[in-house]
Formats: sequence, structure tokens, C-alpha cells
Amino acid sequence: MNELSQLIEDSATRLFEGFATEQAYQTMESGEFPQTLWQDFVNDGWLRTALTEEQGGAGLGLAGGFTLMRLAGYHAVPLPIVESLIATYLAASSGIEINDELLVPALISHPIDQSSDLVLSNIPWARHASGVLFVFPVDDQLHTVVIRLGDLTISSDHNMAGEPRDEITINPKQLIANNTLSGMSVEQIYSWLALGRAAQISGALRKVLLRTVDYANERSQFGRQIGKFQAVQQQLAVQAEMTSAAICAVDAAIAHLDTEQEWELIACAKITNSEAAGYAAKTAHAVHAAIGFTQEYPLQLSTRRLWSWRDEYGNEGDWSSKLGRHCMQLENDSLWSWLTTQTT
Amino acid sequence: MQQLNFEPVLTAEKEEILREQVRDFLKQYGAFKPGNMIDSWSVCDPEFSRCLAKKGWLGMTWPSEYGGGDKSYLERYVVIEELLAAGAPVGAHWVADRQSGPLLLRFGTQEQREHFLPKIVNGECFFAIGMSEPNSGSDLASIKTHAERVEGGWVVNGSKIWTSWAHACHQMITLCRTAPATENRHAGLSQFIVDLEAEGLTIRPIVTLAGEKHFNEIFFDNVFVPDNRVVGKLNDGWNQVMAELAFERSGPERFLSSYQLLEAAIRVLRQAELAQQADTIIGQYVARLMVLRQMSLSVANQLQQGKLPVNEASVVKDLGTSFEQELPEAMRLILAIEPRPSVDQGIQRLLSDAILKAPSFSLRGGTREILRGIIARGLGLR
Repeated sequence: MNELSQLIEDSATRLFEGFATEQAYQTMESGEFPQTLWQDFVNDGWLRTALTEEQGGAGLGLAGGFTLMRLAGYHAVPLPIVESLIATYLAASSGIEINDELLVPALISHPIDQSSDLVLSNIPWARHASGVLFVFPVDDQLHTVVIRLGDLTISSDHNMAGEPRDEITINPKQLIANNTLSGMSVEQIYSWLALGRAAQISGALRKVLLRTVDYANERSQFGRQIGKFQAVQQQLAVQAEMTSAAICAVDAAIAHLDTEQEWELIACAKITNSEAAGYAAKTAHAVHAAIGFTQEYPLQLSTRRLWSWRDEYGNEGDWSSKLGRHCMQLENDSLWSWLTTQTT
Repeated sequence: MQQLNFEPVLTAEKEEILREQVRDFLKQYGAFKPGNMIDSWSVCDPEFSRCLAKKGWLGMTWPSEYGGGDKSYLERYVVIEELLAAGAPVGAHWVADRQSGPLLLRFGTQEQREHFLPKIVNGECFFAIGMSEPNSGSDLASIKTHAERVEGGWVVNGSKIWTSWAHACHQMITLCRTAPATENRHAGLSQFIVDLEAEGLTIRPIVTLAGEKHFNEIFFDNVFVPDNRVVGKLNDGWNQVMAELAFERSGPERFLSSYQLLEAAIRVLRQAELAQQADTIIGQYVARLMVLRQMSLSVANQLQQGKLPVNEASVVKDLGTSFEQELPEAMRLILAIEPRPSVDQGIQRLLSDAILKAPSFSLRGGTREILRGIIARGLGLR
């Protein structure tokens, strides 16, 4: 673990541990917002993790943000950590004043058709936000604007873990280009959101592995712990391998933020984590058997998130296709030289 | 549960300059035989090994007092991954450079180091691995080859098998039983440096299913080994072998054995305008390769820091050999061509070579099941 992860883990662990209560999950899944938890999170300054000190932030950058997201994934924190951190970062980068309110991002990649209402689905946590931060292109420039909740129509929906994934409808005339975002593209911001999910997945993978190994060491059948059976050991070993690969891929992507290789390593991270998510969930449930299949037992808090997050902001197929297309278009025989730039 | 550590590491300018030097060298050296490009670290070409020796690329990490290059594990990593990706025939010196030399540096006597290491560095002394026996594969502690004490040394009797390039090598680190097995099966084993020209030693070739002639069976009939060729501590061979395996399991040869096929497949798909359908599969495999490079490089860096990441090395080997075995399976589906061992070059030949050589990828250096057992122990399950 590097210094940054250590620092964040040391200071945020206790807070996040306290968030993982039955009541908090019930609140979230019943469609309410765990407001007190959110307030604790904001009061401790974590919303400003990625902001510079001049912006009133912690100066830990996006790298710090993704590290915090991984920890949030580990603890299955029922709050919009990825969404709020990235929206706050974008707002601050485009000069919008930060009031420690909950903003969530909505990305529009194509020029806006002014003639009809704009409908955007899968907007995370929109119903609980103070505002939605729209990012949209006008000519060759990216713009941002915060639209207050009262000016939007929201239709509630949620993913398999009960996390809000809402549909919003907006009159495009409201998207007035006031603030600009320079040096970024919609594609890049989308990739950060994907890395946010990958980071959460890698945290959840570690939790699921720990839980499953512990359970295999406790549960006895045929007169011995089930973890003593080779058939179980071999599956858990593979789960550990894929978990390690997933964590390493996120670390590598974080290490390459702000370099030419950024999107490539983010693609790799989302592919590796989304693939591992399915394997880990499947194996963990096989080892836990019926008890893991209940709402009462906490394994489902992680596995329902894994099954949801692996498809959000591009699944392993989408990102593989994008990465593969890029490799196909490299000049003759340059696959290897392209690969080797990724560790410099 | 022991944490598996794969902290990413980036190469610096020093390593990248070296990378360019290897690429320049390869360009000047010219093309390799297409039939040797899959699993090129099982291809023995002493002449090529000596060319690498002249460049200072054997024994790179060893101290200069033994002729080594005083370089870091990261620098060595860069050189060997460039050679492997290009399909270079590095088999002659591979074992000596990767594990026998490091073993002697760790456990050998001063005399052994001074005698062998400079020769390895010059490409004049190649080593074979003397572990497996006809009745001892994964269960290495069950070996029967034994050494008996005589005046001035030891007499070895028994046999070793699956010994790659024994007929082209000069020495073999040979694991023998030197004391009867007790309750602790791992006790009583010792390692010897055996001269492959020694009297009483017979080497018999075994042809692989792919038609390669690197395997051998070796018979020991009262082979004398002098006292000064015992490696490390007598009866502590097991621990030494385990340390050796940390070096053996994590390198880029554990995922690049079929890499040439990936490059060739991309070339063919691009020309045939099949690219679009294949994007997703190519992307999946490239992503796996990207992570494997990061992980293997991380282990190299840990070796540099003096750690012995045995569990991490097992992870890299299991993920890596799965990758290099599954790659030909995936490529044959998207290429939709028939493999042909009968042609000299081209994608059909590469595919045929990759399929026929792939079974060994997950057997050599510890089978998949053994590796997963090691990882399970690290998880606290055993």
C-alpha cells in the first residue's frame, strides 16, 4: 500500500465502518437518503478530497478521490461517494463555487437538440441531490451548469443494490453555457466515472474475499472446515488471484492519471474489475451456500453492488471493444511498443 | 490472511534507454526462425546466448565481482520481456540466468560463485534443472535419487526426467535425498551441482508431442560429486528450492509464451477486415496482458527490495499461464482458420505451435493445482 492509500485508509476507515449499519441500508433502499451519514462525510471534509488547497480542498487530487472510492466500496458505504466527488471536482474546475452540497454529474456528449426535452437515464442519486451538474459541449468547448432539483422532472429508479439510478427530463433551454471546463472531454470524464466504479469494485472484491475465506474457515461439514477441502481452496485461490489483479489494475490506472496512457489503463481497470466481480460473487455465494442467499447475511451488500457496478459506465465488453479497436488501429507491429509505454 | 502485494512500479529513463538498446540489437540481429517464435524460451541457441552475453545481458543483476552487470531487477525485466516478445531463442542460458546463478549467489560458496558465475555471464556455462523424477512430479519431496557419503564427496544414484536441454547444458542443480525421509518429508534433501559430462551419467532424449527435442531423462549410475559441489546447507535443499521457485515463477516468460500469435492475429484480422468482430476479444486479451505486465514488474521490484514474494509469484504464474494457454483458443475462434504444423511460417504455423506447446505452460515450474494450493495456504485455508 502506498502512502496516499495508507493516509486515506487510516483516516476514513472509522467513519466508513460506522456507516455500514442495517438502518442506513434500509433508509437507502426504501428510497430515503441517509442524511446524517452524508453530513458526517461532508463535515469531515471528504467531499473536497480531490480539490486543491486553493479550492478549499484536501489537495489529494483525483488519485486521492479514487483511493477513497475504493475504501467506500470495501465498506459498501450507502452514499454517492463516486458521483459527489467527481461532480464536485468538475464544478470546482469550472469555477462554480463549492457549498458542500450534493451534486451529481450528468454527461451529454452530443450537441444539444433545442427542439425537444432531453431525457437522461441512469443518473445516480439525482433525487437526493441539491443539483445536477450537467456537462455538455457547445462548439468545441465543454460547459457546465448546475440545475436545481426543482427545475427537473425526476423519475425514480434504482440498481440491483438499491442505489438510486434515476431518469431526469430537462428542457434544453435551461442548459445555459456559463462556466467552461478546459482541458477535458466528455469521454475523459466518463472514464473517470468508470474508474470510480472500478475502484469501488476492487474494494468490494477485497471485502468479499475476506468474508468468504473467514466463512470457509468457520463452517464445518463432513467433520472438517469446508476451507480444508481442495475443491474449495482451488476456487478461493482463483478468487484471490482475480482480486489481486483487479486491485493492481486500479492502482496502475491511478498511477497513470494525467498521462497519455490514462484512458488505456482505465479501460484495463474497468475490464479487469468487471470480470472479477462476476467470478468473485459467484464463488462467494457458492462457498457461503444458503446463508449467503439471505438478506439478513451481509454478503449480499457487497455482491449486489458488484453485480450492479460491473455494468455501470461500461461493462467489460464495452471497454474491451474500445481497447481492442484501438489496438487494431495501431500501426503495423506496434502493439508491443504501445504496451510498454504503460509502465513508464 | 497474508495480503498479496502488487504495488505498481514505473520504469525510469535508465530502463527505457536499455529497452531501446535491446530493440536496436534485435533489429540488427535480423529475423528469427518462425517455427521457434512460440515459447521461444524453450528454444536453445548457444550462439544467440553468446551474442547477448557480449551485450552484458546475462547475469545482469549479479555483482560485478563475479562478472555480473550490477543492474537492477527492473532493468533485467525490461531486457527479458523485450527478448521474449520478439520471440528470441533465449533457451540456452535461461535457467542459469534466471535461477541457478541467483541460487548460487544466495546459498553457494565463494569458490562456486567465482567458478561458475563468470562462465554463465559469458554464455559459456548453461544449467539444467534436476528436480522432477519418473515417479516424482508435483510431489517433489518424494524423490528417490539419493547421494551417499564417500571420501571427498558423494555418490549419486537414481534418475531425473523432463530435463530441458540437458544434452546442451554443462551443469545441473540436482536435488537428491541425503538422509532418509522422516515425519518431516521436506527434511533430508540437498542440492548438488552435477557436471553433465561426469562419468556414470547418461542422457536419453524424449521427444515432445510438438516434435521438439528438448526433454531428456538422465540416469545416475554411481556418479561422483565432490564435496565442493554441495549447494548451501546439507539436508536443507527444500527451503533452497522454494527460494529458487520465487525467481522462477513470476517473470514475463509466464505470460509471453504465445504472445507472437496475438501480434500475428491482429495483422491478419486487420488485412481481412475482420477487425470489427474481433475487437472485443482482442481487447479482453490485451487487458489481461496489461495487468500481467504490471503485476510481474511489481514482483521484480519486490525481488529488488530483497523480498521473497512467493505467493505473489504463484499468482502471476497461474494467471499468466492461463492467459498464454487460453490465447490460442480465443484466436482460433476469431481467425477461423485451421492450424498447420506443416507450413514454415504464417499464422497457421503459429497457431499450430501454440496449441501443441500450450499444455506444458501450466505444468512446468509447478502445476496450476500446486500454485493454487500455495495461494490457499497464504489465504489461511491450509
